[in-house]
Amino acid sequence: MEKPVLMRLENISKQYHMGEVIVEALKETSLDIYAGELLVIVGPSGSGKSTLLNLVGGMDKPSSGQIFFNGKELSVAGDQDLTMYRRQEIGFVFQFYNLIPDLTAAENVALAAELVEEPLTVDEALQGVGLLERSRHFPSQLSGGEQQRVSIARALVKKPHFLLCDEPTGALDYQTGKSILGLLDRVKNMGTTVIIVTHNTAIAAMAERVIRMRSGDIIEVLVNENPLPPERIEW
Amino acid sequence: MQVLNRRLIRMIWNTRGQFLALIAIVMLGVLIYISMTTAYMNLSRSQQSFYQENEFADYFLHVVKAPEAEIKRVANIPGVVQVTGRIQKDISFIKADGGRGTLRLTSYKLPVEGELNQIQVDSGRMFAREGGQGIEVLVDPKFAAANRLKPGSLIKVIAGSREVSLNVVGTAVSPEFIYLMKDSASLMPEPEEFGVLMMPHENAEQITDMQGQINQFLLKLVPGADEEEIKEQAEAILEPYGNLAAYNRDKQLSHLSLKGELEGLRVSSRFLPLIFFLVAAGIQFLLLGRMIKAQRSSIGVMKALGLGNMRIVMHFLSYPVCVSLLGSLLGSIFGIYLASIFSQMYAMFFNLPASIGGINGTAILYSVILTLLVGISSGLLACRGILLIQPAEAMRTAAPVGGGSIALEKLSFFWNSLNSAWRMSLRTMFRNRTRFAVTVLGVAGTVVILLMAFFSSDATDYMMERHFSMENRYDFRVTFNAPLKQSDITYWQQWEEIEAMEASLQVPIKVSKDFSGSDEKIRSEDDSLQGLRVGQKLLGIYLADGQELQVPENGVLLSERTAKKLAVQVGDWIWVESKMGVGPSHQARLKVTGIPQALLGGGSYVSLETANRLLGESRLFNSLLLKIDTAKSEQFKNRLKNMTAISSVLSRTKERANWDKMMESMIFFIGVMILFGGVLGLVIIYNSSLMNFNERKKELASLRVIGFTRQEIGNLLFKETAVQAIAGIIIGLPLGRWLGGLYIGAVSTDLYTMPVIIYTQSYFIVAGCTIIFILAGFGLVLPKLKQIDLVEALKNQD
Ligand SMILES: Nc1ncnc2c1ncn2[C@@H]1O[C@H](COP(=O)(O)OP(=O)(O)O)[C@@H](O)[C@H]1O
Ligand SMILES: [Mg+2]
Repeated sequence: MEKPVLMRLENISKQYHMGEVIVEALKETSLDIYAGELLVIVGPSGSGKSTLLNLVGGMDKPSSGQIFFNGKELSVAGDQDLTMYRRQEIGFVFQFYNLIPDLTAAENVALAAELVEEPLTVDEALQGVGLLERSRHFPSQLSGGEQQRVSIARALVKKPHFLLCDEPTGALDYQTGKSILGLLDRVKNMGTTVIIVTHNTAIAAMAERVIRMRSGDIIEVLVNENPLPPERIEW
Repeated sequence: MQVLNRRLIRMIWNTRGQFLALIAIVMLGVLIYISMTTAYMNLSRSQQSFYQENEFADYFLHVVKAPEAEIKRVANIPGVVQVTGRIQKDISFIKADGGRGTLRLTSYKLPVEGELNQIQVDSGRMFAREGGQGIEVLVDPKFAAANRLKPGSLIKVIAGSREVSLNVVGTAVSPEFIYLMKDSASLMPEPEEFGVLMMPHENAEQITDMQGQINQFLLKLVPGADEEEIKEQAEAILEPYGNLAAYNRDKQLSHLSLKGELEGLRVSSRFLPLIFFLVAAGIQFLLLGRMIKAQRSSIGVMKALGLGNMRIVMHFLSYPVCVSLLGSLLGSIFGIYLASIFSQMYAMFFNLPASIGGINGTAILYSVILTLLVGISSGLLACRGILLIQPAEAMRTAAPVGGGSIALEKLSFFWNSLNSAWRMSLRTMFRNRTRFAVTVLGVAGTVVILLMAFFSSDATDYMMERHFSMENRYDFRVTFNAPLKQSDITYWQQWEEIEAMEASLQVPIKVSKDFSGSDEKIRSEDDSLQGLRVGQKLLGIYLADGQELQVPENGVLLSERTAKKLAVQVGDWIWVESKMGVGPSHQARLKVTGIPQALLGGGSYVSLETANRLLGESRLFNSLLLKIDTAKSEQFKNRLKNMTAISSVLSRTKERANWDKMMESMIFFIGVMILFGGVLGLVIIYNSSLMNFNERKKELASLRVIGFTRQEIGNLLFKETAVQAIAGIIIGLPLGRWLGGLYIGAVSTDLYTMPVIIYTQSYFIVAGCTIIFILAGFGLVLPKLKQIDLVEALKNQD
């Protein structure tokens, strides 16, 4: 059963100019991302994982190459179009959650819901991450895992095509990390394309495809015929 | 500690916008403080030294005519140190164009040294007793300039019925003529129409036909003397000579005007800079507080390296100290410049001996101390946080911001109607309530300053409207040397250019409350009474609320000022005594039928018949109110030129022109005030928006990642600015109105009461101006939105 291509990255590269020095964060690479897959990007720190994810998420533009989303070229889109792309298609989960401290869990979710035409209800989104009963709490009253769940609910309430997660378990303890991975796995099963960036290679075991990076290069794309359920992963 | 100095410079560089903004506010505060304080100190000092050197009298007694020998008897009253007797009388002079004006002839015994109210020659030379060359006189400098008189010029005056030419030998000033107005009903000095004529006593006797007589006693009293007691004894001595007036300096017209001006300067020089310094203190407190929070780990490292609390606090305090010093420096430079403009203005309106300019070291010193105090104290408050930071703790990341519910949420029906963005804004503002408060108060301060500017212009405009359009509807007021008979009016009635004419009999009076039956001590007040035809049209008389009054058949409309002083109310009876100076004084008991309020001068009103009865006369008048066909006003003026019986002519067109000239300098100051207020508003909004932005950069970046457009982020920040601005405006408008009232209360004199008038439209204009300045301040922050780096949001450390 072949999944359709949702995004195509063709010969993209990214350089950062730091004064005199040019940092080659991403060397010329190509990659197809399939609709509904769970993709894990692994590699050591500084290998370009986040750079790649940011290009997929429309937060940055490649220095060269083309990005197509559903046939439309993102790499030439203007700032306004990229914002709309992020608004409609992307849910983002940060390592440190980045919730708005002055909004309750429900309001954080609602803030995102207000951005799109047909969002999930706030309750549905919070129910989905198992936090409905804590909806009136402020981030400072929630544990790290709970905050990350709210962050996932905030991403999902917009019904995005992509759920992009940059080190989603990086700030969490082992058990909590695993339960977040379980949640992401369920999200994938409901049809959202999930991309997880991590330097923790063990997590790769739950992926359908694994992209291995080093020094700004994709060195390997691995198809995993038998992804493990997250509960069974250990590190 | 070169490294720390370099660090300070970097700190300033990183916050350069705010640093400059702070300097601007401190500079404005210092500028206002120095210019006004310098003007105040210079004016007050030259007033004092002038008073002292020229022996300005403490007390003044006016009689109709008394033998010179009475000087000794008055001098013998206990408490009286010295007495100078003189002749002072208003006489007419003939202007170059043939028109009439008034000169206040004042006599001086030669040598003037040792007497009270001495004169000081300003140009030319002192007069000498008449030699072969005719009578030598001095005039006041403003009069000389307005009438183009120089030493050597001749001036024609009317003495009795003769025309006499006098030799002007120079100009002179005196403490009693610093601000020269004819009487309390005058709007302002009119040097073309009115001046002082100083001459040797012997010549004055001659011209006024008062050989061996005087009509004024100037008294120097021992400090703390009982003026009431002295007045009683002096009036008893002078009773046979017709007591006209007895008053102290506080009722001396020039002194009173100068005092009003000084008081205005004193109040403004304290109140206005305060707003700027408070806002500067607030901003510095917030800014340093934030810097210290953001630099927690650096501070921890410094402590770990062994730097003491003291050293670190000093390091952070250098920031506000730099602001204070630079602000004072710039403020002093501009302040000294503005002070020189003030001095020029005062030199234009006041007859003072020497230039009153000059740099005032004390004012500069005070302002430097003041700004340092403001900077250091707000800095110290903000630095408390440094002491709490532990070297080890500093290595950890700052505790996350704790959001929480706010009181407003209790209004659930309101709260539930808000979207998440609004809730976020409101909670953020509440969490940063110090900043919120500083911003709101800063905006309120802006509104207050703008309102004060508009207030002074509205109030004057309103006074002018009342003075020119409502109260005085005539074009000319012609006053005669001596009362005329009703039948003399026919002479005037034949002139075609006169459209309407009303006779008036003006009588100086003494008013006391009628206490028949009670043994309360009887106090009396001087006032001026005007008899008018019942149903008068050329003069409008109004109550405080603007309701018009008519001259009553029998009763009296008692001026508000006198009524207040004597605690008289409508329906009370008063005793009115004439002090005309001719014949015996008459008394009449009158019922008060109304208490009109005039903003300038003003007086009491009765019917022409009542006024005549008070003088024991009938059908007399001594001035005419005239309405002239505007096209023929030149023709009318020419006619007046040849009439000797006229003592003065008041032309409202001329009055208006003079007024407009004076308003020009006022407009300059109003403009400056609006500008300064605007800068304050701009800076406070710029600063708080920038701080808000800097603190929430990461939050805003996350919102951009989620899909907020730049526009939406801008709106979000603007909403918060707008809430603070609106709160500031709502507080500022009534606050400004209230402070305006306080200000008026502080600077009101017996001479005039400025009404606390702010036109409704001014409130809107002020609000509009404030909004414009706020938008400008916010606009300065907008370009920063482009700096939001989305990737920043994903960075793990902050
Ligand atoms: N905004 C940036 N400016 C300059 N260099 C950057 C920036 N973002 C990332 N880099 C550099 O690009 C390289 C790849 O970074 P990143 O994609 O964040 O790696 P990873 O997420 O795999 O740790 C690193 O060397 C990093 O220092
Ligand atoms: Mg990364």
